[in-house]
Amino acid sequence: MRRVLVIGASGFIGLNVVDALLAKGFTVRATRRGTTVTAFLRKRDVELVEASLEEPATLRAAMEACDGVILAGAHYPRYSIDRAGSIERGVLGVKNACAAARDARVRRFVFTSSVGVLDAAPAGRSADERDVAREIPTDSVYRAVKWAMEHEVERAALEGLPAVSLLPGGCIGPWDLRVGTGAILVGTVRGLIPWWTDGTVNMVDVGDVAAAHVAALEARPGTRYCIPGHDVRVGALLDRIVRRFGGVMPPLRLTHQEARRRADQEELEAAPRGARVPVPRELVDLVAAGQPVSAALAQRELGIPLTPLDVALERAHAWFVRFRYLPRPDTKEGITHDHA
Amino acid sequence: MTTPDTRTRIVAAIAKIAEVEPSRVTGAQRLREDLGMDSLGSLELLSLISEELKIDLEMEDAMDIVTVDDACAFIEKVRAEGERLVPQV
Repeated sequence: MRRVLVIGASGFIGLNVVDALLAKGFTVRATRRGTTVTAFLRKRDVELVEASLEEPATLRAAMEACDGVILAGAHYPRYSIDRAGSIERGVLGVKNACAAARDARVRRFVFTSSVGVLDAAPAGRSADERDVAREIPTDSVYRAVKWAMEHEVERAALEGLPAVSLLPGGCIGPWDLRVGTGAILVGTVRGLIPWWTDGTVNMVDVGDVAAAHVAALEARPGTRYCIPGHDVRVGALLDRIVRRFGGVMPPLRLTHQEARRRADQEELEAAPRGARVPVPRELVDLVAAGQPVSAALAQRELGIPLTPLDVALERAHAWFVRFRYLPRPDTKEGITHDHA
Repeated sequence: MTTPDTRTRIVAAIAKIAEVEPSRVTGAQRLREDLGMDSLGSLELLSLISEELKIDLEMEDAMDIVTVDDACAFIEKVRAEGERLVPQV
Protein backbone atom coordinates (compact mmCIF):
# COMPACT_ATOMS: atom_id res chain seq x y z
CA MET A 1 0.00 0.00 0.00
CA ARG A 2 1.55 3.26 -1.09
CA ARG A 3 -0.90 6.13 -1.49
CA VAL A 4 -3.29 6.97 1.32
CA LEU A 5 -5.98 9.64 1.43
CA VAL A 6 -6.49 11.28 4.83
CA ILE A 7 -9.87 12.96 5.26
CA GLY A 8 -9.65 15.49 8.07
CA ALA A 9 -5.89 15.82 7.64
CA SER A 10 -5.75 19.39 8.96
CA GLY A 11 -7.32 18.40 12.27
CA PHE A 12 -5.77 17.17 15.48
CA ILE A 13 -5.73 13.43 14.85
CA GLY A 14 -5.40 13.96 11.09
CA LEU A 15 -2.14 15.92 11.27
CA ASN A 16 -0.62 13.31 13.54
CA VAL A 17 -1.76 10.55 11.19
CA VAL A 18 -0.19 12.40 8.25
CA ASP A 19 3.12 12.60 10.13
CA ALA A 20 2.99 8.92 11.03
CA LEU A 21 2.27 7.96 7.41
CA LEU A 22 5.07 10.15 6.04
CA ALA A 23 7.50 8.68 8.58
CA LYS A 24 6.64 5.22 7.24
CA GLY A 25 7.23 6.28 3.63
CA PHE A 26 3.63 6.50 2.43
CA THR A 27 2.53 8.94 -0.24
CA VAL A 28 -0.13 11.08 1.40
CA ARG A 29 -3.04 12.88 -0.16
CA ALA A 30 -4.93 15.16 2.19
CA THR A 31 -8.33 16.76 1.94
CA ARG A 32 -9.04 20.35 2.77
CA ARG A 33 -12.16 22.49 2.88
CA GLY A 34 -12.47 26.21 2.31
CA THR A 35 -12.04 27.26 5.93
CA THR A 36 -9.30 24.81 6.85
CA VAL A 37 -6.06 25.92 8.53
CA THR A 38 -3.78 24.65 5.78
CA ALA A 39 -0.51 26.25 6.85
CA PHE A 40 0.72 23.17 8.68
CA LEU A 41 -0.29 20.74 5.94
CA ARG A 42 1.39 22.90 3.30
CA LYS A 43 4.66 22.54 5.21
CA ARG A 44 4.43 18.78 4.86
CA ASP A 45 5.09 16.68 1.78
CA VAL A 46 1.44 15.97 0.97
CA GLU A 47 -0.84 16.44 -2.01
CA LEU A 48 -3.70 18.76 -1.00
CA VAL A 49 -7.10 18.26 -2.61
CA GLU A 50 -10.40 20.07 -2.08
CA ALA A 51 -13.03 17.64 -0.81
CA SER A 52 -16.00 17.65 1.51
CA LEU A 53 -17.96 14.84 3.12
CA GLU A 54 -21.12 16.56 1.90
CA GLU A 55 -20.01 16.40 -1.74
CA PRO A 56 -19.68 12.80 -3.02
CA ALA A 57 -18.11 13.83 -6.35
CA THR A 58 -15.21 15.53 -4.55
CA LEU A 59 -14.67 12.42 -2.43
CA ARG A 60 -14.60 10.13 -5.45
CA ALA A 61 -12.05 12.39 -7.15
CA ALA A 62 -9.93 12.58 -3.99
CA MET A 63 -9.84 8.78 -3.62
CA GLU A 64 -8.79 8.09 -7.19
CA ALA A 65 -5.66 5.89 -7.32
CA CYS A 66 -5.53 5.64 -3.50
CA ASP A 67 -4.87 2.26 -1.87
CA GLY A 68 -6.18 3.30 1.50
CA VAL A 69 -8.50 5.90 3.00
CA ILE A 70 -8.42 7.18 6.57
CA LEU A 71 -11.52 9.03 7.71
CA ALA A 72 -10.23 11.05 10.66
CA GLY A 73 -12.52 14.02 10.15
CA ALA A 74 -16.09 12.82 10.50
CA HIS A 75 -18.66 15.18 11.98
CA TYR A 76 -17.98 16.35 15.54
CA PRO A 77 -20.98 18.15 17.03
CA ARG A 78 -19.78 21.38 18.59
CA TYR A 79 -22.74 21.54 20.93
CA SER A 80 -24.98 18.79 22.28
CA ILE A 81 -28.12 20.64 21.27
CA ASP A 82 -29.40 19.40 17.90
CA ARG A 83 -29.49 15.61 18.30
CA ALA A 84 -31.39 14.73 15.11
CA GLY A 85 -29.50 17.23 12.95
CA SER A 86 -26.12 16.15 14.31
CA ILE A 87 -26.85 12.46 13.70
CA GLU A 88 -28.14 13.16 10.20
CA ARG A 89 -25.08 15.20 9.25
CA GLY A 90 -22.65 12.70 10.74
CA VAL A 91 -24.25 9.66 9.09
CA LEU A 92 -24.54 11.37 5.71
CA GLY A 93 -20.84 12.25 5.66
CA VAL A 94 -19.76 8.74 6.62
CA LYS A 95 -22.19 7.18 4.14
CA ASN A 96 -20.74 9.35 1.36
CA ALA A 97 -17.17 8.46 2.31
CA CYS A 98 -17.95 4.72 2.47
CA ALA A 99 -19.71 4.79 -0.91
CA ALA A 100 -16.83 6.66 -2.55
CA ALA A 101 -14.31 4.22 -1.04
CA ARG A 102 -16.29 1.25 -2.37
CA ASP A 103 -16.39 2.81 -5.84
CA ALA A 104 -12.65 3.50 -5.68
CA ARG A 105 -12.03 -0.13 -4.61
CA VAL A 106 -9.60 0.93 -1.88
CA ARG A 107 -7.80 -1.88 -0.08
CA ARG A 108 -8.57 -0.51 3.36
CA PHE A 109 -10.89 2.11 4.85
CA VAL A 110 -9.91 3.17 8.37
CA PHE A 111 -12.50 5.00 10.44
CA THR A 112 -11.71 7.06 13.54
CA SER A 113 -14.50 6.29 15.98
CA SER A 114 -14.47 6.67 19.78
CA VAL A 115 -14.66 4.69 23.02
CA GLY A 116 -17.88 6.67 23.43
CA VAL A 117 -19.68 4.03 21.33
CA LEU A 118 -19.11 1.42 24.05
CA ASP A 119 -21.77 0.31 26.48
CA ALA A 120 -21.00 -0.62 30.08
CA ALA A 121 -18.97 -3.84 30.25
CA PRO A 122 -20.25 -6.81 32.26
CA ALA A 123 -19.08 -6.84 35.86
CA GLY A 124 -15.63 -8.29 36.38
CA ARG A 125 -13.84 -7.18 33.23
CA SER A 126 -12.76 -4.06 31.37
CA ALA A 127 -14.77 -2.96 28.36
CA ASP A 128 -13.49 -3.97 24.94
CA GLU A 129 -14.52 -4.33 21.30
CA ARG A 130 -17.38 -6.70 22.22
CA ASP A 131 -19.16 -3.96 24.11
CA VAL A 132 -20.22 -1.62 21.31
CA ALA A 133 -23.73 -0.57 22.30
CA ARG A 134 -26.50 -2.57 20.58
CA GLU A 135 -28.81 0.43 20.51
CA ILE A 136 -28.07 4.09 19.89
CA PRO A 137 -27.28 5.89 23.19
CA THR A 138 -30.25 7.98 24.28
CA ASP A 139 -28.62 10.13 26.95
CA SER A 140 -25.84 11.78 24.94
CA VAL A 141 -25.84 13.58 21.59
CA TYR A 142 -22.10 13.08 21.19
CA ARG A 143 -22.23 9.34 21.89
CA ALA A 144 -25.31 8.96 19.69
CA VAL A 145 -23.59 10.64 16.73
CA LYS A 146 -20.47 8.54 17.20
CA TRP A 147 -22.54 5.36 17.50
CA ALA A 148 -24.60 6.17 14.40
CA MET A 149 -21.48 6.82 12.33
CA GLU A 150 -19.83 3.62 13.61
CA HIS A 151 -23.02 1.75 12.73
CA GLU A 152 -22.89 3.18 9.21
CA VAL A 153 -19.32 1.94 8.74
CA GLU A 154 -20.37 -1.47 10.06
CA ARG A 155 -23.22 -1.55 7.55
CA ALA A 156 -20.82 -0.66 4.70
CA ALA A 157 -18.42 -3.39 5.87
CA LEU A 158 -21.22 -5.95 5.65
CA GLU A 159 -21.72 -4.82 2.05
CA GLY A 160 -18.07 -5.44 1.26
CA LEU A 161 -16.12 -2.33 2.26
CA PRO A 162 -12.78 -3.48 3.77
CA ALA A 163 -13.22 -1.27 6.83
CA VAL A 164 -11.37 -1.13 10.14
CA SER A 165 -12.66 1.01 13.03
CA LEU A 166 -10.49 2.51 15.72
CA LEU A 167 -11.99 3.55 19.06
CA PRO A 168 -9.57 5.96 20.74
CA GLY A 169 -9.99 7.48 24.17
CA GLY A 170 -9.55 11.22 24.70
CA CYS A 171 -6.48 12.18 22.67
CA ILE A 172 -3.84 14.56 23.94
CA GLY A 173 -0.68 15.77 22.25
CA PRO A 174 0.67 18.09 19.56
CA TRP A 175 -1.46 19.79 16.88
CA ASP A 176 -4.61 20.10 19.01
CA LEU A 177 -5.46 23.32 17.18
CA ARG A 178 -9.08 23.45 18.28
CA VAL A 179 -8.27 22.29 21.81
CA GLY A 180 -10.27 19.10 22.15
CA THR A 181 -9.48 16.86 25.12
CA GLY A 182 -6.48 19.14 25.68
CA ALA A 183 -8.96 21.64 27.11
CA ILE A 184 -8.59 19.78 30.42
CA LEU A 185 -4.92 20.71 30.41
CA VAL A 186 -5.18 24.24 29.00
CA GLY A 187 -8.25 25.13 31.05
CA THR A 188 -6.77 23.88 34.31
CA VAL A 189 -3.40 25.61 33.85
CA ARG A 190 -5.12 28.86 32.91
CA GLY A 191 -7.65 28.59 35.72
CA LEU A 192 -10.60 28.70 33.32
CA ILE A 193 -12.54 25.65 34.48
CA PRO A 194 -15.17 26.65 37.05
CA TRP A 195 -16.55 23.18 37.80
CA TRP A 196 -15.92 19.49 37.26
CA THR A 197 -17.43 16.08 37.78
CA ASP A 198 -15.62 12.90 38.68
CA GLY A 199 -15.50 9.58 36.88
CA THR A 200 -13.19 7.49 34.73
CA VAL A 201 -11.76 8.87 31.50
CA ASN A 202 -9.44 7.20 29.00
CA MET A 203 -6.51 9.42 27.99
CA VAL A 204 -4.24 8.45 25.15
CA ASP A 205 -1.26 10.07 23.45
CA VAL A 206 -2.31 11.10 19.96
CA GLY A 207 0.94 9.65 18.62
CA ASP A 208 -0.18 6.18 19.73
CA VAL A 209 -3.51 6.72 17.99
CA ALA A 210 -1.74 7.86 14.82
CA ALA A 211 0.45 4.74 14.90
CA ALA A 212 -2.68 2.64 15.22
CA HIS A 213 -4.13 4.25 12.09
CA VAL A 214 -1.05 3.34 10.08
CA ALA A 215 -1.08 -0.25 11.40
CA ALA A 216 -4.82 -0.51 10.70
CA LEU A 217 -4.13 -0.12 6.97
CA GLU A 218 -2.91 -3.72 7.08
CA ALA A 219 -5.36 -5.02 9.69
CA ARG A 220 -8.12 -7.55 9.09
CA PRO A 221 -11.14 -5.96 7.42
CA GLY A 222 -14.25 -5.89 9.57
CA THR A 223 -12.25 -5.49 12.78
CA ARG A 224 -12.49 -2.76 15.39
CA TYR A 225 -9.81 -1.88 17.92
CA CYS A 226 -10.05 0.05 21.18
CA ILE A 227 -7.17 2.51 21.71
CA PRO A 228 -8.06 3.78 25.19
CA GLY A 229 -4.64 4.66 26.56
CA HIS A 230 -4.78 5.16 30.32
CA ASP A 231 -7.81 4.83 32.60
CA VAL A 232 -7.71 7.71 35.06
CA ARG A 233 -10.15 9.43 37.41
CA VAL A 234 -10.87 13.05 36.47
CA GLY A 235 -9.97 14.28 39.96
CA ALA A 236 -6.62 12.50 39.85
CA LEU A 237 -5.93 13.87 36.37
CA LEU A 238 -6.69 17.45 37.40
CA ASP A 239 -4.50 17.08 40.47
CA ARG A 240 -1.69 15.69 38.31
CA ILE A 241 -1.93 18.64 35.91
CA VAL A 242 -1.89 21.23 38.69
CA ARG A 243 1.12 19.63 40.37
CA ARG A 244 3.05 19.29 37.12
CA PHE A 245 2.16 22.44 35.20
CA GLY A 246 0.51 24.82 37.66
CA GLY A 247 -2.97 26.28 37.58
CA VAL A 248 -5.81 25.63 39.95
CA MET A 249 -8.14 22.77 40.76
CA PRO A 250 -11.62 23.76 39.52
CA PRO A 251 -13.43 25.00 42.62
CA LEU A 252 -16.85 23.35 42.25
CA ARG A 253 -17.44 19.60 42.08
CA LEU A 254 -20.81 18.53 40.69
CA THR A 255 -22.68 15.24 40.41
CA HIS A 256 -23.16 13.88 36.89
CA GLN A 257 -26.76 15.05 36.88
CA GLU A 258 -25.82 18.56 38.01
CA ALA A 259 -22.97 18.65 35.51
CA ARG A 260 -25.28 17.70 32.62
CA ARG A 261 -27.74 20.43 33.54
CA ARG A 262 -24.98 23.01 33.90
CA ALA A 263 -23.30 22.04 30.62
CA ASP A 264 -26.63 22.14 28.77
CA GLN A 265 -27.38 25.59 30.13
CA GLU A 266 -23.93 26.93 29.25
CA GLU A 267 -24.08 25.48 25.73
CA LEU A 268 -27.49 27.04 25.10
CA GLU A 269 -26.09 30.41 26.14
CA ALA A 270 -22.88 30.02 24.14
CA ALA A 271 -24.31 28.60 20.91
CA PRO A 272 -25.85 31.82 19.52
CA ARG A 273 -22.45 33.51 19.88
CA GLY A 274 -20.55 30.52 18.52
CA ALA A 275 -18.55 30.60 21.75
CA ARG A 276 -16.93 27.71 23.57
CA VAL A 277 -17.92 26.54 27.01
CA PRO A 278 -15.46 25.62 29.75
CA VAL A 279 -16.81 22.06 30.10
CA PRO A 280 -18.74 20.78 27.06
CA ARG A 281 -21.65 18.41 27.52
CA GLU A 282 -19.91 15.67 25.55
CA LEU A 283 -17.11 15.59 28.10
CA VAL A 284 -19.63 15.20 30.91
CA ASP A 285 -21.26 12.36 28.96
CA LEU A 286 -17.93 10.61 28.43
CA VAL A 287 -17.09 10.93 32.12
CA ALA A 288 -20.53 9.71 33.17
CA ALA A 289 -20.22 6.67 30.87
CA GLY A 290 -16.52 6.29 31.60
CA GLN A 291 -15.06 2.91 32.47
CA PRO A 292 -11.77 1.04 32.21
CA VAL A 293 -11.24 -0.10 28.61
CA SER A 294 -8.84 -2.78 27.42
CA ALA A 295 -6.33 -2.15 24.63
CA ALA A 296 -5.26 -5.80 24.55
CA LEU A 297 -6.48 -6.55 21.02
CA ALA A 298 -4.87 -3.43 19.53
CA GLN A 299 -1.60 -4.11 21.32
CA ARG A 300 -1.60 -7.73 20.20
CA GLU A 301 -2.64 -7.23 16.57
CA LEU A 302 -1.54 -3.67 15.75
CA GLY A 303 1.54 -3.61 17.98
CA ILE A 304 0.90 -0.03 19.04
CA PRO A 305 2.92 1.62 21.81
CA LEU A 306 1.45 2.91 25.08
CA THR A 307 3.06 6.25 25.82
CA PRO A 308 3.11 6.96 29.59
CA LEU A 309 0.46 9.48 30.65
CA ASP A 310 3.03 11.93 32.03
CA VAL A 311 4.91 11.88 28.72
CA ALA A 312 1.67 12.46 26.81
CA LEU A 313 0.83 15.41 29.06
CA GLU A 314 4.33 16.84 28.63
CA ARG A 315 4.08 16.59 24.84
CA ALA A 316 0.70 18.29 24.83
CA HIS A 317 1.87 21.01 27.24
CA ALA A 318 4.96 21.74 25.15
CA TRP A 319 2.85 22.15 22.02
CA PHE A 320 0.31 24.43 23.71
CA VAL A 321 3.17 26.60 24.99
CA ARG A 322 4.86 26.63 21.59
CA PHE A 323 1.73 28.06 19.97
CA ARG A 324 0.85 30.34 22.90
CA TYR A 325 -2.29 28.58 24.02
CA LEU A 326 -0.41 28.57 27.31
CA PRO A 327 2.05 31.18 28.49
CA ARG A 328 5.70 30.28 28.35
CA PRO A 329 6.86 29.22 31.84
CA ASP A 330 9.65 31.82 31.87
CA THR A 331 7.36 34.79 31.12
CA LYS A 332 4.68 36.61 33.04
CA GLU A 333 2.17 36.60 30.19
CA GLY A 334 -1.29 37.13 31.52
CA ILE A 335 -4.49 35.28 30.79
CA THR A 336 -6.04 36.55 27.58
CA HIS A 337 -9.34 35.87 25.88
CA ASP A 338 -8.60 32.26 25.06
CA HIS A 339 -11.17 29.79 26.26
CA ALA A 340 -10.30 26.18 26.59
CA MET B 1 6.32 49.85 5.19
CA THR B 2 3.52 47.60 3.86
CA THR B 3 2.32 48.19 0.33
CA PRO B 4 -1.30 49.43 0.22
CA ASP B 5 -2.48 46.28 -1.57
CA THR B 6 -0.80 43.94 0.91
CA ARG B 7 -2.13 45.89 3.87
CA THR B 8 -5.65 45.81 2.43
CA ARG B 9 -5.46 42.04 2.04
CA ILE B 10 -4.09 41.53 5.55
CA VAL B 11 -6.79 43.76 7.04
CA ALA B 12 -9.42 41.87 5.02
CA ALA B 13 -8.11 38.59 6.40
CA ILE B 14 -8.14 39.94 9.97
CA ALA B 15 -11.70 41.22 9.49
CA LYS B 16 -12.80 37.84 8.15
CA ILE B 17 -11.36 35.87 11.06
CA ALA B 18 -12.47 38.40 13.70
CA GLU B 19 -15.89 38.68 12.02
CA VAL B 20 -15.89 42.50 11.88
CA GLU B 21 -16.20 45.00 9.06
CA PRO B 22 -12.78 45.75 7.46
CA SER B 23 -13.48 49.48 7.90
CA ARG B 24 -13.55 48.97 11.68
CA VAL B 25 -10.03 47.46 11.78
CA THR B 26 -7.32 49.95 12.77
CA GLY B 27 -3.56 49.55 12.94
CA ALA B 28 -3.29 49.97 16.70
CA GLN B 29 -5.90 47.36 17.52
CA ARG B 30 -4.65 44.30 19.39
CA LEU B 31 -5.61 40.99 17.80
CA ARG B 32 -6.47 39.33 21.10
CA GLU B 33 -7.67 42.02 23.45
CA ASP B 34 -9.44 44.29 20.93
CA LEU B 35 -10.48 41.91 18.17
CA GLY B 36 -11.17 38.89 20.37
CA MET B 37 -8.88 36.54 18.49
CA ASP B 38 -7.72 33.49 20.41
CA SER B 39 -4.79 31.21 19.56
CA LEU B 40 -6.83 29.28 17.01
CA GLY B 41 -7.95 32.56 15.45
CA SER B 42 -4.32 33.65 15.15
CA LEU B 43 -3.44 30.36 13.45
CA GLU B 44 -6.41 30.68 11.09
CA LEU B 45 -5.37 34.23 10.24
CA LEU B 46 -1.75 33.38 9.55
CA SER B 47 -2.74 30.34 7.51
CA LEU B 48 -5.11 32.44 5.41
CA ILE B 49 -2.52 35.18 4.85
CA SER B 50 0.27 32.76 4.00
CA GLU B 51 -1.97 31.04 1.46
CA GLU B 52 -3.36 34.24 -0.10
CA LEU B 53 0.01 35.98 -0.35
CA LYS B 54 1.84 32.75 -1.17
CA ILE B 55 4.44 33.21 1.54
CA ASP B 56 5.91 30.73 3.98
CA LEU B 57 5.36 31.90 7.56
CA GLU B 58 7.03 30.41 10.60
CA MET B 59 3.85 30.16 12.63
CA GLU B 60 5.57 30.07 16.01
CA ASP B 61 7.36 33.37 15.35
CA ALA B 62 4.11 34.92 14.23
CA MET B 63 2.25 33.94 17.40
CA ASP B 64 3.87 36.86 19.25
CA ILE B 65 2.24 39.45 16.98
CA VAL B 66 0.20 41.85 19.10
CA THR B 67 -1.40 44.51 16.88
CA VAL B 68 -2.71 44.84 13.33
CA ASP B 69 0.30 47.03 12.48
CA ASP B 70 2.62 44.35 13.92
CA ALA B 71 0.99 41.78 11.64
CA CYS B 72 1.50 43.96 8.56
CA ALA B 73 5.14 44.68 9.49
CA PHE B 74 5.87 41.02 10.20
CA ILE B 75 4.44 39.86 6.89
CA GLU B 76 6.21 42.60 4.95
CA LYS B 77 9.48 41.54 6.56
CA VAL B 78 8.91 37.90 5.62
CA ARG B 79 8.06 38.90 2.05
CA ALA B 80 11.17 41.06 1.76
CA GLU B 81 13.37 38.24 3.06
CA GLY B 82 11.70 35.83 0.63
CA GLU B 83 12.36 38.14 -2.32
CA ARG B 84 16.01 38.45 -1.34
CA LEU B 85 16.28 34.66 -1.46
CA VAL B 86 14.89 34.44 -5.00
CA PRO B 87 17.83 33.99 -7.42
CA GLN B 88 18.22 36.95 -9.76
CA VAL B 89 18.41 35.77 -13.39
